[in-house]
Amino acid sequence: MNDPTVQDACQRYLEDPEADPRHVETCAECRALSEALAAKADVDLTPISLDALPLAPWEGSSHRAWPLVLGAAAIVVAIALALCDAAGLSPLHVAESSLASIDARRGLLRSASDWLRGAPAMWQAAFGLAFVVVNTLLVVLLRRAPKGIDA
Amino acid sequence: MRRALRLFLPLTAVAATLVTAMVAAPPSFRLPGPMPIEDAVATMQNTAVIVSLLAIWMFAAVGLTLLSGREIRYSSIEMRASALHCFALGLVAVTSFVLTAIVFSYLIPYHVGVPLLFALGVFAILTKIYGTIAVFHAVGTLVAGTRTREQLARRRWLRGDLAMVVVGVIVLGGLRLIPIVGPIIWALASVFGIGTAMATKFGRREPWFLAWRAVES
Repeated sequence: MNDPTVQDACQRYLEDPEADPRHVETCAECRALSEALAAKADVDLTPISLDALPLAPWEGSSHRAWPLVLGAAAIVVAIALALCDAAGLSPLHVAESSLASIDARRGLLRSASDWLRGAPAMWQAAFGLAFVVVNTLLVVLLRRAPKGIDA
Repeated sequence: MRRALRLFLPLTAVAATLVTAMVAAPPSFRLPGPMPIEDAVATMQNTAVIVSLLAIWMFAAVGLTLLSGREIRYSSIEMRASALHCFALGLVAVTSFVLTAIVFSYLIPYHVGVPLLFALGVFAILTKIYGTIAVFHAVGTLVAGTRTREQLARRRWLRGDLAMVVVGVIVLGGLRLIPIVGPIIWALASVFGIGTAMATKFGRREPWFLAWRAVES
């Protein structure tokens, strides 16, 4: 350590460790110092290889593959139009059939509420209990924090 | 090899399910020879409606992913990380929607039921749309997602949220066309989607309820 060139190297390393990271491999004193600092700061000194890390979900996610999107959309629309033409349907009929399914569900709902209105008090109480239990369970399940990114 | 497995394993499972269903089905469920013309027309119309709705789903999925890709991705990650929780939450949420809708219908004569029912309907439809698109993303990522950085760098088209969503629409839409099995798969995907949307609060990852803490003296 008395050698002035070694002292200069140590000084340079202490001032800017990133400039000569190999110095720590040859100098026992600097290595001991950096290990002590790392232990104090609870830092892992082993170098991290980016390629060894698992691929993060956001990596490359902002890429917009327009040829794929437009191609797939065009193919699906072409198949839909061809099938509609072959079956003698208009796009309006597709919308009507969707609305019809909503109407059917609304009818079911109305008949269920009519049944409930005319049901004996025992059944109404059981329905009320089921309503409270299911919604309590929903609230309990909603209180759990999502863990996807941290999993 | 792994990629081939990822593609062919689900296809093999679907094919095996179909063969098993055809073999195990009671005679009344088997095709009794040539289909009458009315049945053939009805089947074609049904297929045309399904594919048309699939096209609408694709436009909705692309639009929503462009608007809020990060939220869709968060929900997709959550579904893959805790699938059972999302499914359970979806089942409970759907049951809750139905029971609450019956209660609100019960309140229609008292005038307060109509706006409540309308609000519940809008919320349920938005939840289903958002959740189903998150399921598209999750399915697309499971089928065609990248596993390594080299793979990501090599790919030109099959990467990014938009591509994953489109792949998911095509895969689930293709499965939807299978008779009997398709609607069941689609319904299960809807339950998963509603659960995921609710679990992540539409991808915002915020708590639904404020936590109560006693004031420190």
